[in-house]
Amino acid sequence: MNRLALAGFALSLLAAPVYAQSTAEQTPASQTGPFSGYMDFHFNKEEGLAGELDFHRFVLLFHHSFSPRVRFVGELEVEHAFVEGLEDAGELELEQAYIDFLLSRSFNVRAGMMLVPVGIINERHEPPVYNGVERPFVDTVIVPTTWFEAGAGVHGEIGRGLRYRAFVMAPLNALEFSADEGIREGRQKGSRSNVRNFAATGRAEYVGIPGLTVGASFWTGDSSFEAPRLDATVHVGEVDARYQRDRLELRTEFAHVAIDDAGRLNDAIQGLTGVSPNIARALRGFYAEAGYRVWNQGSPRDLVAFVRYENFDTQYRMPGGFQRLPQFDRDAIVTGVTYYPDPDVALKVDYVRRRSQSRIIRNSNAFNVGLGWWF
Amino acid sequence: MVVLMQALVMLRTITIGLAVLASAAAGQQNERRTIRISAERFAFTPSRIEVTAGEEVELRLRSNDTSHGFRILDADNLTVNVAIPKRGKGELTVPVRIDKPGTYRFECSRMCGAGHDFMHGEIVVKERAAKAGENDRERR
Repeated sequence: MNRLALAGFALSLLAAPVYAQSTAEQTPASQTGPFSGYMDFHFNKEEGLAGELDFHRFVLLFHHSFSPRVRFVGELEVEHAFVEGLEDAGELELEQAYIDFLLSRSFNVRAGMMLVPVGIINERHEPPVYNGVERPFVDTVIVPTTWFEAGAGVHGEIGRGLRYRAFVMAPLNALEFSADEGIREGRQKGSRSNVRNFAATGRAEYVGIPGLTVGASFWTGDSSFEAPRLDATVHVGEVDARYQRDRLELRTEFAHVAIDDAGRLNDAIQGLTGVSPNIARALRGFYAEAGYRVWNQGSPRDLVAFVRYENFDTQYRMPGGFQRLPQFDRDAIVTGVTYYPDPDVALKVDYVRRRSQSRIIRNSNAFNVGLGWWF
Repeated sequence: MVVLMQALVMLRTITIGLAVLASAAAGQQNERRTIRISAERFAFTPSRIEVTAGEEVELRLRSNDTSHGFRILDADNLTVNVAIPKRGKGELTVPVRIDKPGTYRFECSRMCGAGHDFMHGEIVVKERAAKAGENDRERR
């Protein structure tokens, strides 16, 4: 019997491969050159203002393997197409440039310029992977994407889909915080970053169930190195979830920022500049988005309609003696569609209805069209 | 004559029976276990696969977004480095058999975005459990 079984198996080997081969029912694969990257080309028309055409992002990614276990990744970005001395005219940013030492599934070491592992968008920001022409407001003014910094740390995956990253990085610079954009301008961006103190950041993420991703992130670091008498430690906490099943796509994110010693920080900045920045002691934002793939036959017959509600307040709690300004308590409803002529090309159209709690500052809505692609 | 005919019929029955048994045994060996893996920036789900040494499995990989790569590392006698088609463009089928117990890493081998290097997993190849009959024979 066993001999017969062996004979049968031997015959079966003639028909089936012993070692891996692959087959795919597919159309011809797209061609990729030595670089990868993504582009973001926008038309923005804000109510009461002239429309703008903006080549928002031109990003190139580089990848090199010194060996199967030692890798380099680089990401270079030009924002707003033209780089001058001031940021409004454009930026040239080195967003990633790190070496990965891949030791095992559960433990790997990374060092260099890295993305801060906070939120949905900061590490996952290629235009075809999110709805809306512009990134969510919460992922701009509460979590300051694209948030990158020099540092080192570990990452890996344990069990059935529990992933982690834990990094030590250069801290934020609290003297650059503002009432409107929160901690955003405090990013040192790995450019001669002051490391009198270090910040710690991390993220845990569960990806063990197909279609579901649940994550939680934190950042904490003393950010008052330019004013050492202060204790302006910044704490960021964030939770998020994404779920996709059949045609339905859901995502949500909540982020909270706490700034210690914010009152004395305002006084210190006023002492330096003559103007109080009115920085809050707490910032908060959240959003919820639902998308439905109304055309689901695969690109070029691929269209997602979505709606997103966002609430974000960069003056959620003020230090004693400082006035909370209602124009910074804002919300937005973003409705639109994303059309995929190819899974890597996204044509986006949306309408943004913005409101603030202020009775003085006028609300402005916006119409946006965007073309983004990954290659 | 009748006895001869009966003997021939019996012989034919035995031959057919043996052929059926051989075919069934071969069929059992041919039945590959199918493991479905979804790929999405920047994770494979599941990212940990358990097989038995010498077991033939069929990995079926489907992308939810862009084209990803699938490469198995560390396996001496196995070369896999293939592209998973983009969303809606089909499924990749990879028959795999690894004879040597151990842990073999796999990863995305096609740059797929800012978190590309987070996209990896492992195939855990376990020792094949010896059957009772085989153990008895070995003892004898």
